[in-house]
Amino acid sequence: MKTSSLAFGLVFAAFLAVSACGTIRRGEPIIGAHAPPNEGVARGLVAFDRFCSQCHPGGEAGLGPALNNKPAPAFLIKFQVRHGLGAMPSFSREVISPEELQDITRYLVWLRHTP
Amino acid sequence: MRSSDGGGKATFEPPREVNPADVAVPEGYRIEVVATGLTFPTGIAFDDEGRAYVTEAGYSYGEYHGTPRLLRLEPGGGTTVVATGTNPPWNGVAYADGSFFIAGGHDGGGQVLRISRDGQVTVLVDGLPSYGDHHTNGPVVSADGWVYFGQGTTTNSGVVGTDNFDFGWLDDHRDARDIPCEAVTLTGRNFTTPNPLTPDRRDEATTGAYVPFGTPTQAGQVIPGGVPCSGAVMRVRPSGGEPELVAWGLRNPFGLAWSLDGNLYVAENQLDVRGSRPVFGTGDLLWRIEPGTWYGWPDYWAGVRLSDKFEAPGEHAPPALLQTEPGTPPHPAASLGVHSSANGLDFSRSSTFGYQGEAFIAEFGDMAPGAGKVLAPVGFKVVRVDPETGVVEDFAVNRGKLNGPASWQGSDGLERPIAARFDPSGTALYVVDFGVMTIHGDAIRPVPGTGVIWRIRRAEGIQ
Repeated sequence: MKTSSLAFGLVFAAFLAVSACGTIRRGEPIIGAHAPPNEGVARGLVAFDRFCSQCHPGGEAGLGPALNNKPAPAFLIKFQVRHGLGAMPSFSREVISPEELQDITRYLVWLRHTP
Repeated sequence: MRSSDGGGKATFEPPREVNPADVAVPEGYRIEVVATGLTFPTGIAFDDEGRAYVTEAGYSYGEYHGTPRLLRLEPGGGTTVVATGTNPPWNGVAYADGSFFIAGGHDGGGQVLRISRDGQVTVLVDGLPSYGDHHTNGPVVSADGWVYFGQGTTTNSGVVGTDNFDFGWLDDHRDARDIPCEAVTLTGRNFTTPNPLTPDRRDEATTGAYVPFGTPTQAGQVIPGGVPCSGAVMRVRPSGGEPELVAWGLRNPFGLAWSLDGNLYVAENQLDVRGSRPVFGTGDLLWRIEPGTWYGWPDYWAGVRLSDKFEAPGEHAPPALLQTEPGTPPHPAASLGVHSSANGLDFSRSSTFGYQGEAFIAEFGDMAPGAGKVLAPVGFKVVRVDPETGVVEDFAVNRGKLNGPASWQGSDGLERPIAARFDPSGTALYVVDFGVMTIHGDAIRPVPGTGVIWRIRRAEGIQ
């Protein structure tokens, strides 16, 4: 069990490292206009800009690391928002509602695959 | 301790080259250079004939001391001096009813000036509390002729500390402190630091909130308030007189602008990770100003208590300074990048330009590591903000694999945008670029003569 977990961790870490090589820039002047494709993503954009973009402006690096090239799965995004990591604070359900977190996750996954 | 990779961590040797092709704007827009060779320009305004005028600060962080000037931009990129001053920095300019209005001042106290088109200077307000970290900013003129201006706080987060000595002003202004606009009651929280004002290196000083360095406070102590005050938007008649309070509880309200529906908006520089009460992770804010409102400084960011989070790595969360809160701070119109230094702004009012009703904010860019460490450059661009939703989108930003000032990228694009303002027709957005400022550790190096004025228009409207 321990061996399989370690192997999974190594493979996942390697996947992150390789995937992190993509561009992180998503601004309209750089990649062109890219309107959210549905209401969930549009709500996620609003929530992201309220709670997250201060440290990850446009999903790029700033005070915190870039998100646009990190292929974290949705459950891991939600876990990190709820529990924090390093300098990143945790955000309770009272601050970011479950619905808002779902929308933020949708937005981040969409942004990652844009363009 | 992690390293910092702010945009000032660059090397630069003049002259500054500029190339609009290095700046990305949305499809259908074009950016061009209007003027170069300026020394720390901070604001732009237009007279009745549509001619552009620019303020040069005459001072910069990094202890550059020069002469503040009001310049007219001539066709072809030349300049003509309209007026000069003796109390820098001049942080911005507005034009109304045949006069220019300028906000600024530091060592001589903050001022709002009226300058005629032939250069005659009249002081409308002086003695404003600009002796510390932040100065007098704006201004903008309302439809009924009042001159609105921003007044920054003396300190980062309410307590005079050794960071202010390092900034160079504490030794010269030992009584300087933050002045509340209304009486405040303190928690009595004090902070003990080394005392840089005495020769004994072992000497310490204990300092509370809203008091001079080395002055402790007690729980329940009341600090009287009054106008003029720190961290506020105030207004004065164009003929001068006593300033009136508009709103307070702001840290450094640098940029002011009127929206299409007649509301006053302010771009506010938020807290740094420095001094006796460092605060981590507070992005700059865009506020819609409601008269009489307290916006939360020194105990809130964007309506959230600082004592609930915002601790720097390895530090405690900033303790509350106010025992009784002057009000319930509202939520901002938009949040911007931590340390982005969101400064001058304007609203689009032209269908020809597009994005009517949206705000365009110049982001000067981070001052890391002194203001706080970052993983990558923050700011150094112009953003477009929908004030209804708070959604922020880049509008003019340097091309390249990563964002940052041109000197950091090795390109010839934007350095440090400090103001954005539409011309009277509303079809051209002028961007005031302060110029090159490199930062290596404590060494801030602003480079005179590297300021630039850029102009952005819809490509189809350019002849």
